[in-house]
Amino acid sequence: MDIQAYIQSGVIESYVLGIANEQEVAELQRLRLEHPAIATAVEQAEQWLLDTSSQLAVPVADKSKMQLLTTLQNDFKEPVSASNGSVSSEAPVRSMSRNMAWIAAASVVLFVSSAAVNLYLYNKYTKAANDYSDLLKERTTLLATNKAYENRLTALQNNMQLMTAPGMLKVSMPGVAGKEQSLATVYWDTHTKDVYLIANSLPAAPAGKQYQLWALVDGKPVDAGMLENCEGLCQLKNIQQAQAFAITLEKAGGSPVPDLTQLYVMGKVQS
Amino acid sequence: MLKQRTQAAFSYLYDNYAATLNGIIVGIIQDQEVSGDVLQEVFVKIWRQVENYDPVKGRLFTWMYNIARTTAIDTLRSRDWKNSKRNNSLTEEYTSLPDKAPNPGDELGLRKIIQGLREEYKVLVELSYFEGYTQEEISGMLNIPLGTVKTRIRAAILQLRQQVKL
Repeated sequence: MDIQAYIQSGVIESYVLGIANEQEVAELQRLRLEHPAIATAVEQAEQWLLDTSSQLAVPVADKSKMQLLTTLQNDFKEPVSASNGSVSSEAPVRSMSRNMAWIAAASVVLFVSSAAVNLYLYNKYTKAANDYSDLLKERTTLLATNKAYENRLTALQNNMQLMTAPGMLKVSMPGVAGKEQSLATVYWDTHTKDVYLIANSLPAAPAGKQYQLWALVDGKPVDAGMLENCEGLCQLKNIQQAQAFAITLEKAGGSPVPDLTQLYVMGKVQS
Repeated sequence: MLKQRTQAAFSYLYDNYAATLNGIIVGIIQDQEVSGDVLQEVFVKIWRQVENYDPVKGRLFTWMYNIARTTAIDTLRSRDWKNSKRNNSLTEEYTSLPDKAPNPGDELGLRKIIQGLREEYKVLVELSYFEGYTQEEISGMLNIPLGTVKTRIRAAILQLRQQVKL
C-alpha cells in the first residue's frame, strides 16, 4: 500500500472533519494503528482542524457561561484530590469553615468593640456638651456682672470728674438735732448752676414719702428737686443762687412748702 | 481533569473552547442568535458525555468539534428551523451563480472560505459538511457515482486545506 498517496488523498482531512463515509472511517482507524506515518498525519490533520477553527472563532455572549453553569449545576462534582480520596477532600472544606469561623469571630469582636467605643464616645460627647453649656451660662453671667461693674465704674468716674471739676462747690449737710446720723452732700456747679446730690447716709424713705432738696434763697426755701432712687451723684434742679441747702421728708412727688418738722440735714454754702 | 467533572474543569473547558466551537456552529447555522442556543446545547452534551470521550480515537477538540457540528446540523434539519429558513437555503443555491448572489461576503466562517472552491466541489462540501448528508445520500441526490463523490470530497478538502494554510 502506498502510504504517502493515502496520506495525501484528503481522506484523513475528511475523517477529522466528520464527512468521511463509514468504510473510509473503518479503514483509517485500522491503518493509523498499523502505520505511524498515518497516525502522525491524523494528528497533524487534527491540529489543522483546531488551528483553522480557532481562526474562525466567534466570541460568545457573556451571559452564555452563567447560563450553562446554572443548567449544569447538578452535574458538577465536588473537587476530589486524586491521591488521598475523601479524607483530603474534606480537609479544604474544614479549613474553609475554620477560616469562616475566624472571620465570623473577628467580626463579632470588632462589632462589640465598635459598639463599646461608640458608647464611650457618646458619653464623652454628652458630658462635653453639658460642660460646654454650663460654661456658656457662666460666661454670660460673668459678662453681665462685668458689664454692671463697668457701668458703675464709668458712673463713678463721671461723678469724680464732676466733683473735681473747676468751679464745683461742695456743700456738706450734716444731720440736724435728733438726726445726727444723717449726712448728705451737695455739689453745686458755680458756672452752670447745676446741683448734684450724694445721699451719704439717709434712712430709707417710708412708703408714700420722698426726700426733697430745698435751696434757701434769701431766707426762703425754694424747691430744688426730689431725691429719686438713684445711685451716687444725682443731678437735681438748676439753682441760680442759694445761701444754704436742706433736705426734708415730704409726701411722694414733693411739696410746695417744706415741712420743717421733718428736716433731716442742712448745710450752709461757703462763700 | 475533565473526568473529575468539577465546575473548575468545566470553566476551563468553556473558557478555552467556547468561542472556537461557536465559530463552527455559526459557520453552519449562519445565525448568531440561534448559534448561541446551539452552543448551550453543545456544552451540555459535552459535559454529560465527557466519559464517552476516548483519547485513543483522537483529540478532545476533534471530539467536541464533532458534537458541535452534528448538533448544529440537527438544529438546521429540525422542521421548525427548516421552515423558517427555507427561503435562505434557496438563496444559498443562488450563491452558486456568482453574479446573482444576493449578499456575497455575508457568509460567516468556513462557509465564506468555501466560496473560493470550484462549483462541483462547493456543492459537495455544502451537502456533506454543512448539511450532514452521507456520501451515499449525496450520490443519490446528485446522481453521481459514489466513487466520484468520494474522490471529489477528498479533493475539495485538500484544496480547502491549502487555502486555509496557517
